[in-house]
Amino acid sequence: MRGRQAAQLLALPGLLVLLGVVAFPLLYAFFLSLTRYSFLRPQYAWAGLARYREALEDPYFLHALGLTALYVALTVGLTLALGLLLAVLLHQGLPLRGFHYFAVSLPMLIAPVGVGLIWKMILHPELGILAYLFGGVDFFGDPRYALLSLALVDVWQQTSFAALVLLAGLRSLPKEPLEAARVDGATPWQAFWYVTFPLLRPVLLALLVLQTLAEVRTYDLVYVLTRGGPGSATDLVSYYIYRKAFLGLDLSGAGAMGYLLLLLTLALVALYYRFLTRG
Amino acid sequence: MKRLLSVLALVLGLALAQGVVLRALMEDVPETRIIEALLPEFERATGIRVEFEVVQYSAMHDKLVAQLTAPESAYDFLQVDFLWAGEFPAAGWLEPLEPFVKASGFDLSAYFPSMLDLVGYYRGTLYMIPMYNYAMGLIYRKDLLERKDLKEGFQAQFRRPLALPKSLQEYVDLSLFMAKRAGVAGAAMQGQRGDPNFMEFSNYLFAAGGDYVDRNWRVTLNSPQGERALALYVRNIREGAQKGALNANLDDTFRVMCQGGAFSMITYWWMLPQLDNPKQCSKVAGKVALAPMPGGAGVNGGWGWAIPKNGRNKEAAWRFISWVESKEIVKRRALQGHAPTRKDVFQDPEVLKKYPYYKEVERILAGAKKVPIFAYTAEMEDVVGREVSLAASGRKPVKQALQDAAKGLEGLLKKAGLLR
Repeated sequence: MRGRQAAQLLALPGLLVLLGVVAFPLLYAFFLSLTRYSFLRPQYAWAGLARYREALEDPYFLHALGLTALYVALTVGLTLALGLLLAVLLHQGLPLRGFHYFAVSLPMLIAPVGVGLIWKMILHPELGILAYLFGGVDFFGDPRYALLSLALVDVWQQTSFAALVLLAGLRSLPKEPLEAARVDGATPWQAFWYVTFPLLRPVLLALLVLQTLAEVRTYDLVYVLTRGGPGSATDLVSYYIYRKAFLGLDLSGAGAMGYLLLLLTLALVALYYRFLTRG
Repeated sequence: MKRLLSVLALVLGLALAQGVVLRALMEDVPETRIIEALLPEFERATGIRVEFEVVQYSAMHDKLVAQLTAPESAYDFLQVDFLWAGEFPAAGWLEPLEPFVKASGFDLSAYFPSMLDLVGYYRGTLYMIPMYNYAMGLIYRKDLLERKDLKEGFQAQFRRPLALPKSLQEYVDLSLFMAKRAGVAGAAMQGQRGDPNFMEFSNYLFAAGGDYVDRNWRVTLNSPQGERALALYVRNIREGAQKGALNANLDDTFRVMCQGGAFSMITYWWMLPQLDNPKQCSKVAGKVALAPMPGGAGVNGGWGWAIPKNGRNKEAAWRFISWVESKEIVKRRALQGHAPTRKDVFQDPEVLKKYPYYKEVERILAGAKKVPIFAYTAEMEDVVGREVSLAASGRKPVKQALQDAAKGLEGLLKKAGLLR
């Protein structure tokens, strides 16, 4: 009992810090979202749910939400598919393993702003090597390609994390079921699809949740690469909320939008759990 | 007796002045270094030491606001960008300067009215002394205007000689002509949504005779002039500009122009010495020139000096401002490349000899207009920039985009309490 009390006592400072930097801002933002508070008029005028209604009536916010849904589906889908492919390849034991590990983990080590700047040059319509090879495609200046280009840059970075997590997952799988499958005459494809994949499900679920949360929060790449343009072709919701707070100086409006986003994300994660833990 | 008293007062004054240290937050640009190098002279003359805290532009606003909302400001005088020239006085953070001007006999008539309007007065009260200007104008390639085949082709197509455009329509015509015939982009355009395309479009708007608001803050953006300006802007960015213009910012346009990839750009006038520098832009140095925005009016920009209301040494701060803005010091700053705001310095023979293009800058300044400066200027750039970009990328008809931009602007003016 003494040991347990001591442990609790030792954990207290950490918990207090967490309370200060996570719980307090979360609750404070919620409180703000129920008021009309801005940097210019720092008064807590009660507004009830009016800020939420205003957010839901803002066509540009709704556009940003829809765009973000598309973006998340695109990036998470591609990241998981490519990550799984890379993980399986690495798991097969290629020659030069050390080199491949290093190369695959490299994108993860670069800060997103750095990734943005590097790709900005690679895809630059006049100076970029890829723009040159693709016959001068205007990756970020053409509203038809801008979102896709942004998503591909994001996938390039995120895939390395996905690959490493899935590789760790593959490594930790029990060998017996696979051997049994082989003895029973399963083809490699059948073994993968009916044995490995179901066993990998918990890892995939965790990754799916992590990646979805990361992509919903995409802000840095938009800031560096497109500023939400051309038009509003890449105006993702996190960037929209940031502008509401810091250009519009409207903390409570941004708070309401932030909470709406949080609710949607929670609902999505709950859905994931239901579908993927079934059976 | 009287004499003794005045000597005593002088000694006392000197003793008090001794040991005064003025602090200010300054932007990390060459102009700050130019002033810094002159500070020992001020200290020798007055006994007042001045210390600069030098930071990047992006860090300035937040640091200033933190000090201005504190009980006592750590900064004794301020460098205020025109984008904050509505916010700071409206919040009551700046000391009115008229009493200081009167007491010291400081001559305001030396300043361009457009500069005093931008970074001097706010709603009739003087809060700032203009310090630096960065108005916008047209930078173009002289050599292309003189090329024989282009001259002939232009004459044949437009039935007038190839020359500097006199109106916005003529400018866009010329830009499209160059894009088709000269093997370069007609204009290097900064179409990225937000500050870049807002600033650029504002030049088109003013050049076409339009404006954002009238004197009573009623929105006038959605006018026939506004529509013509946006239509011409969209046409130029789609047919006359470099590839990628819809996502380009100031750096991108500078690179295009520097590499000889464009005939013209609408930009800050201080870009000219950069482009004309053979060490930096060997391909176009000697071939570029500056002119006012075709149509006469471009966008004004600038910095002003101010004294915070919660400052500790207001008298000493004013002594510094009136010293650094005296004709002699402004001239010495100007000779080292610090853009002046005083007419007499622009007309100084020595200054003109070193920078002949200041003649053009003077014309640019005389005609420059300001974009609406109020509490939500930053959000206005975002809202108008979004609509301009939607029109430019073909996602919204010009008329609709202009209407939505005007509506957005009106909402912001209402939020700021300037409109009912």
